[in-house]
Amino acid sequence: MPSKISLNVNGADHAVEVEPDSMLLYALRDNLSLRGPKFGCGLAQCGACTVLLDGNAIRSCVTPVSAVGNSKVVTLEGLGTPEEPHPLQQAFIAEQAAQCGYCINGMIMAAKAFLDQHPHPSRDEIKQALNDNLCRCGTHMRIVRAVQRAAGSSKP
Amino acid sequence: MTTSFNDMRSATDLALSRRRFLQASGGLVVAFRLFGPQPAWAKDAARTSVASPPAGKLYAWLAVHPDNTATLFTGKVETGTGVQTALAQIAAEELDFPFDRLDVVMGTTSETVDQGPSYGSMTVRYAGPQIRNAAAAGRAALLNLASEHFKVSPNQLTAKEGTIVVLGSPGRTITYGKLVDGKRLEMEIGASGERFAMKVAPNAHPKDPSTYTIIGKPLPRKDIPGKILATFSYVQDVRVDGMLHGRVVRPYGVGATLQSVDETGLKSIPGFVQVVRRDNFLGVVAETEWAAIQAAAKLGSTLHPSGPDAGQAKWSNWNGLPKMDQIWDTVRETAEGRNISVASKGSAALAFGYTKRTLKATYKTPFQMHGSIGPSCAIADVKGDHATLWSGTQMPHEARRDMAKLLDIPLDNIELRWFEASGAYGRNGLEHAIADAAIMSQAVKRPVRVQWMRWDEHGWEPKGPPIVQDLRGAVDADGRVIAWQHHMWIPTISDTHLIAAALTGNPNATGETGTGGVPVITYAYTFENADVAVHDEGRVALLTAWLRSPAQFETTFAMESFIDELAAAAGKDPLAFRLAHLEDARAIAVLKAAAEAYGWEERPAGAKADRSGKPAHGRGIAWVNRDDSRVATIADITVDPGSGRIKVSRVVVAHDCGLVVNPDGLKNQIEGNIIQSLSRTLLEEVTFDSARVTSLDWQGYPILRFEDIPDSIEIVLVNNRPEYPSYGAGEPSTNPTAAVISNAIFDAVGVRLRQTPFRPERVKAAMSS
Repeated sequence: MPSKISLNVNGADHAVEVEPDSMLLYALRDNLSLRGPKFGCGLAQCGACTVLLDGNAIRSCVTPVSAVGNSKVVTLEGLGTPEEPHPLQQAFIAEQAAQCGYCINGMIMAAKAFLDQHPHPSRDEIKQALNDNLCRCGTHMRIVRAVQRAAGSSKP
Repeated sequence: MTTSFNDMRSATDLALSRRRFLQASGGLVVAFRLFGPQPAWAKDAARTSVASPPAGKLYAWLAVHPDNTATLFTGKVETGTGVQTALAQIAAEELDFPFDRLDVVMGTTSETVDQGPSYGSMTVRYAGPQIRNAAAAGRAALLNLASEHFKVSPNQLTAKEGTIVVLGSPGRTITYGKLVDGKRLEMEIGASGERFAMKVAPNAHPKDPSTYTIIGKPLPRKDIPGKILATFSYVQDVRVDGMLHGRVVRPYGVGATLQSVDETGLKSIPGFVQVVRRDNFLGVVAETEWAAIQAAAKLGSTLHPSGPDAGQAKWSNWNGLPKMDQIWDTVRETAEGRNISVASKGSAALAFGYTKRTLKATYKTPFQMHGSIGPSCAIADVKGDHATLWSGTQMPHEARRDMAKLLDIPLDNIELRWFEASGAYGRNGLEHAIADAAIMSQAVKRPVRVQWMRWDEHGWEPKGPPIVQDLRGAVDADGRVIAWQHHMWIPTISDTHLIAAALTGNPNATGETGTGGVPVITYAYTFENADVAVHDEGRVALLTAWLRSPAQFETTFAMESFIDELAAAAGKDPLAFRLAHLEDARAIAVLKAAAEAYGWEERPAGAKADRSGKPAHGRGIAWVNRDDSRVATIADITVDPGSGRIKVSRVVVAHDCGLVVNPDGLKNQIEGNIIQSLSRTLLEEVTFDSARVTSLDWQGYPILRFEDIPDSIEIVLVNNRPEYPSYGAGEPSTNPTAAVISNAIFDAVGVRLRQTPFRPERVKAAMSS
């Protein structure tokens, strides 16, 4: 049966009434009305649903709410605001790194977790870090450039 | 934080229909708001109709608000290609209005004129002039208003950035917003014809293109910040009051019939509402997405069900699909459609008779899919003989008409509210999802949101069809092509029948199986004898529909690879060989521009082919004329003989789509076309067994990943000049890619690949044979 579960999302605690074995993605989208994380495959294959869990990029479409516990969830909404966008968001806008944009949540969230660990990556390292995130519009060149820009690095 | 971003309007709220979204600062609320105070006409005349506005009225295209912002209304929609921004630039240019104060409302059928679907690289080309004229008529209408206001003749006035000034009297100015004073722009501007062919404001005087200041600028796209900041609402994000969640349960086999449904255990799923069954249409409806997913899974909607009776819904054991490895024979044999001659010159048959050096080749391409990252999604609220639909379809006005037929509801009682979806690159499942949602809403009498699961999308979205092409060419002793024959066999690329209609036993309620029509081959060489024909075969095996640059991606692969075969047979440089057989000045210009940017040195293809077993380098070239745009592409690749893997290092594209509205938006499109077409060239093939599609996820249907993107994509714009109209750019640069790569592989290792995709195992097999 649904139970009240407390989730810490974007710095605030929220009580959501969900099935404990339901996936975090639906709690974020349907209970908390967030639009950053997207349903893409439900199979952890495309990355559109990526959020940060204690700073690690995870696939919220296959992460049960019951597994979140006290961990801190950060979504695209929690990175920055229109008034104060995160440097990655600024870089994606500056590079015009989106077409349909449906995958971009995952690209930014995966890049955020990656840059936190590897602040000065090479282009190849960025490509490797994003390799499990799928983009169908073919915006890859700009996405890589945006991550390079955010990292302040233009190393080959 | 629990505020939802509902689309709250009911049909009677349409007095507020001239609206736009405002993203509230927290990023959580999408509210509807008018620019500035609510205009008087909206308060007075509460519109109860959901009919589209009349194209001959200025208000159908433009609204000017008291705070001196403005709205452009267009029946065209954004699909990720940037047309919203391009159309806004065109309107702002003619209206003499600041681009960043001009908002664009797209697609919603009650607020926009039907300008035809947003497909075929035709939005800027055909809707652009319609909007240009409407905006020019708008500017003239505003000058007339100002003329009355200032009591001077209109030719004593000038308009700049949304303000009208009396010439020679710098103090006498008025903004468009003040001038219009919240009124609806009732002026008659005139319109005739329909959709793509519609002529708007025939008496308008648009600007001389050489004076443009907004068109031609690489302005940032209007939609991108919201998409990056999570303040943008895709159709997948829309929530409606009282809404339930639906999921479809498709037949196990494509043509299977539903034998029985065992509902045991469904009621114990918290939030489960009901099963919706009509003939072979099966769906579940629940209060939550999770409950709908769980219920659908019990009935058999899972990634890899083991058979037609694996779930609690039992399907007949249908096995009517042809064999996958013989699909091209099936296509040839079907021959239900019509034959279309594309070119017929001299007598190819005679020429082949007296020429010794002739070559023959057959090219094959598989079923491919659109592969949207976000599966198709729609919301429907069907109440009696009224319906409201929320969709990201590329053809909102057609979808509305289709749903009137499917639901047998008067057209005037249906509104489609358009929100952007995940990119579709053609006709994917978006239109079908509307029908699914409508049938479920009809059954439960509440709004229902349906989102397809990944396997629904991969399995049931209409596919790009498999194509087989026979080519034959003859070269004389001087190395000139004297005969050319190119025949293709292709299932329909435009079958618009709705899946839900077929499943509910009403397959022809709406839609048609189209033939021909689209420029699937643009033959442009000057061979003395030529015979080019399309054999369009109707429906074969799976539902098919247009996929980016429909069929021309495949025909360009065959045509531009085979010309390379002839060039190699004649011992000629592939660029020089093409140029020797072309008169089309724009084709010659893009080929030369690409070659110059690349640094092309003349030599026959394959002259340096390396079969030593070490990684081998090659270059390939190809071009296309797609609906009057010309594109030439050159690429460098490396073939790793050990793995069979192709690495694309450098891509150079010369692109002529005439006058470019937004150069950065265009480059974004070209990069996307190159990468997506590389993916289709190297990796993509829909697999199926006798019952169903078996490539149901991204493992079964891999697409290009970051590790395989080129090191660089260089773009040269050709004929970007005001004397040219703007042709299409959403698709053309997809076309040359497969031929470029095939030609580069031949150049590298001397092996000719004539069947896509060029997966490593296929490359290795070709090299060892």
